Amino acid sequence: MTVETKGLTKYYWMGKEKVVALDGVDLKIEEGEFISIVGPSGSGKSTLLNILGCLDSPTKGKVFLDGAQVDYRNKRSLVILRRKFLGFVFQTFNLIPALNAVENVEYPMYFNKPLKSKSERKEKAMKLLALVGLEKRANHLPSELSGGELQRVAIARAFANGPKLILADEPTGNLDSVTGRSILDLLTRLNNEEKMTIIMVTHDFESAKRMGTVIRILDGRIQEQER
Amino acid sequence: MMELFLLAGRQLRRKKLRVFLIVLGIAIGVAAVIGVTALGEGIRVQAVEQIKASHDLTTVEVSAGAEAGNVTLITESKIKAIKQEENVLFVAPYVKDSYVTQNNTYLAVKGVTPEYRGIHSNLQLEQGNWFDESTHSNYTQIVLGYDVAKRLAVTEDLGVGDEFGAKIRLYGEEGPPRDKSTVVKIVGILESAGDEHDNQVFVGITEAMEMDEKDAYDGLLVKVDDPAFVASVREKIEEIGLNAQSAQDVIDEVNRLMVAVTLVLGFFSGISLVVGALMVVNTMIISVYERTREIGLSKALGASDLDIMKMFLAECLIIGVMGGILGDLLGIGFSVMIDLVGKPFLVSTLGGELGASLQAGSITAITPSILAVGFAISLVLSIVSGLYPARRAARLSPLDALRQI
Repeated sequence: MTVETKGLTKYYWMGKEKVVALDGVDLKIEEGEFISIVGPSGSGKSTLLNILGCLDSPTKGKVFLDGAQVDYRNKRSLVILRRKFLGFVFQTFNLIPALNAVENVEYPMYFNKPLKSKSERKEKAMKLLALVGLEKRANHLPSELSGGELQRVAIARAFANGPKLILADEPTGNLDSVTGRSILDLLTRLNNEEKMTIIMVTHDFESAKRMGTVIRILDGRIQEQER
Repeated sequence: MMELFLLAGRQLRRKKLRVFLIVLGIAIGVAAVIGVTALGEGIRVQAVEQIKASHDLTTVEVSAGAEAGNVTLITESKIKAIKQEENVLFVAPYVKDSYVTQNNTYLAVKGVTPEYRGIHSNLQLEQGNWFDESTHSNYTQIVLGYDVAKRLAVTEDLGVGDEFGAKIRLYGEEGPPRDKSTVVKIVGILESAGDEHDNQVFVGITEAMEMDEKDAYDGLLVKVDDPAFVASVREKIEEIGLNAQSAQDVIDEVNRLMVAVTLVLGFFSGISLVVGALMVVNTMIISVYERTREIGLSKALGASDLDIMKMFLAECLIIGVMGGILGDLLGIGFSVMIDLVGKPFLVSTLGGELGASLQAGSITAITPSILAVGFAISLVLSIVSGLYPARRAARLSPLDALRQI
């Protein structure tokens, strides 16, 4: 999926004080790219990711996904975009505690129902778990998994509905460096194998550099873009 | 759909104690309503049974009709019309007069036909005979009701075979009322009938009508071959302008009263359901707070507002089903308890005949419809109570929800 933004701007109001989170961001990301957005906290990188992921809406500016402009006022179209084309990976994994690993992976397919039958969904979820190397932990509850395993399940879940764009918000933030590296390797591998675009927010510039394109952001503006 | 409920069940299983407490709360409310309704229904059934046992369900009582100032009298031609109706076995007209003895004792006199005695089978002779209308004599033959006979024996020293003079006051359409004298002879005395007949004096209808010079009857009993046709016969009688009543009227009255009483009691016992409903609202709101992140996540993963709402309502529905089943079971238990504990109390308080009649049967009656309504109440209650929390969950912004810790 190609991603393009034009003059993307986001203000917050903290009481009477205007906070500028994004200040005219122009961005162009090609199909199948692995983009890392780096910057200190408060730089606006998470806001950018949330807006691209249709979880938040911009104050001004336009976002084009695969060339089509996103209409942030149309709630229904945002739901469809999230459901069919986007996949999320969070810093805190956000697995559903009541469901085991394979059910967590199946969960997004549930909202995309007409697609498959229950058994097909389970089969696909098992395949995705195998892809992240966790097929043996399929029936474990999140409370029985380690941090690295949780994030692998979360990544498998992000792939559940066959998204064209994966948005990862500090996916290694809660992991030790060794586990974090294995997660990044997994994302890189999936990026190569599945050919979908990945946008990752991180503050680990060193590892970001190894992944692909790095976008530095500061005070809501893009500082530089390195390939 | 199935999965929605599986998922909801999964969520509920994680907070078993909380769910059990709400379910119990709803169930107790439902059980209270069922218990009270079953008691009302039980007493209603008993009362109706009692009426059926003590009333002749195949008799229609006809009196003169009065509608918009027009009085329709029971004349010979009306009787003929009624006799020709289908399902009518026979009719028994009667007249009512009052005689006064020389010592100024008033006698309530009823002029009756033999058919009248056929309908009121409790009119049995203790002494003497019934009047013989075929033999014409210079005195009027009368049969005394049990209480009248006793009174006359004490105050006027009269018994079977005695004759005495009596007067009847006639109110003509014109002129002043005039008195008409006759000589009456007591030919028989009745056993106690246990009703208003004990205070009446009976005369052959022909003689009675000669005396009072009326050209219409005061009342008419219509015997129908089967209780099922009473209503249709009644309608026919009312069509010709007369007033008709049957034991069914009394039964209808009791039914109306008991249904009203039961509804009022059920309504007030239903207040406990409000408590159950508030518990559901409270628990589901807490659940929304606890699962805010999960809701945000679900939205990020593609859930629509409706999906979220359905997930919460499915949990409420499961709670409602469990509350309904448990409420029905507890309700049955309640009514068994009312029967065990409440019945002896009611019987001793009411005492007498009414108490004795309650002793025989059960004072509560659980019908499938009571249970169905109890179940439905639980279902509707939990869904309605879940609407607000579910809507609240559905409306959360995914980003805000995800940020919440």
